[in-house]
Amino acid sequence: MSIRILVVDDEPDFIETMVKRFTFRKMPVTAASSGIAALKILETETFDVVIMDVRMPGKDGIETLKEIKKRHPLTEVIMLTGHASVESGMRGMSLGAYDYVLKPVDFDELLEKVRKAHERKRLNEGRSAT
Amino acid sequence: MKDEAPHNGPLETPQAADATAQTAPPPAAPRPLWPHLVAVPGGVAVAVLAALALPIPLAVILAMFMASLTAWSAAALFARIRASETERCSLDAQLVQSQKLAAIGEMSAGIAHEINNPMAIIAQESDWMTHLMSQPEVSPENLAELKDSLAEIVRQVDRCKTITHNLLNFSRKMEPILQEEHLERIMEDMVLLVEKEARLKGVTILRDYDAELPAIRTDVPLLRQVILNLLINAFQAIPGAGTITVSTRPTGPSQVAIAVADTGAGISPENMSKIFNPFFTTKPPGVGTGLGLSMCHGIVDRLGGTITAESAPGQGATFTVTLPR
Repeated sequence: MSIRILVVDDEPDFIETMVKRFTFRKMPVTAASSGIAALKILETETFDVVIMDVRMPGKDGIETLKEIKKRHPLTEVIMLTGHASVESGMRGMSLGAYDYVLKPVDFDELLEKVRKAHERKRLNEGRSAT
Repeated sequence: MKDEAPHNGPLETPQAADATAQTAPPPAAPRPLWPHLVAVPGGVAVAVLAALALPIPLAVILAMFMASLTAWSAAALFARIRASETERCSLDAQLVQSQKLAAIGEMSAGIAHEINNPMAIIAQESDWMTHLMSQPEVSPENLAELKDSLAEIVRQVDRCKTITHNLLNFSRKMEPILQEEHLERIMEDMVLLVEKEARLKGVTILRDYDAELPAIRTDVPLLRQVILNLLINAFQAIPGAGTITVSTRPTGPSQVAIAVADTGAGISPENMSKIFNPFFTTKPPGVGTGLGLSMCHGIVDRLGGTITAESAPGQGATFTVTLPR
């Protein structure tokens, strides 16, 4: 089963690498360059896992996470951060992020997290169906 | 507690520590301690002295008698400890129950407030509609007003629906979703997050993970919240440089434990009983809400585990989370 992934980051280089690596693994991946763009894409398409940077101009990662969890509670979000702020980590986790990971992150590890987040989404869906 | 002893029951000399001591517990609820603290030890002392002078067969009989007397004393004390423990457990349960009721009360007030507002508007609009309908004939303006009111009622009903829907979502979210995962993997991201900031302050994080520990079934993001909270607490408890030790251990065939220990200020004995209460904090206003540990307690409870704290003042504190595998 393929996992539908949305990568949100304002750094084009990071997005490019991510898209390349997920595509190489034959995993469908979509990119958004801002929180607002991500929310727009989520209105029309369904994703299993969102990988999102915390620090972005405009709507930051935490605000976007809040919106995503409100509108699409089943979508799992993995937050990536370059600067280790425990404050925003706390906020992110209590807003329902699946994980809060310090950059740089090993791709294989990230892949494993994506799988786990997807597994969680499936379990959650199975529950709401009954 | 102890000072009522002299008033209760007939006083006996140590030598009389025979059958009468066993048969006469006073009927009053707080039974005296003196038979155990004075009568039995005194009797033993006298018996030992007497045995020195008595012929061997008599000394043996006396020894046997005193042994059974001390056994009785120990059994009686044990029964008392058991009874008081049972009582304390039921008091704890009552306390938890009253806290639950308080939380429910608070939540109900919030819900009632949220629902009452749209209800008031619905009542008002339907009153107005009744008034309009009671007119001998319905003019076009009145018809427009009726439509308006009806639309408003539909809107308010939708508002109520959203509220109840959110409540249902909330309660579903409360159910943990169990996934198989290694404890170390759950913890490490949170440790890394705190470590960078900790290092700037001169706080070192030591990892003491049990590499043999198999994966457990738990709600991963919820447990991460608990761990991050404990790490932040530990970090904030250390005034200058210091050490935080995180460890994982098996604690039985069906349980594992996570411990977060710091070398900070520790928790004073009078605060120890309050640390898991909501809104209790020793941090200056604005730094802590006092909800961190009570939230941890709530989550760990939902995960089927327990959370405990240990501390000697000035020696730092250790928080231990025990979870089912």
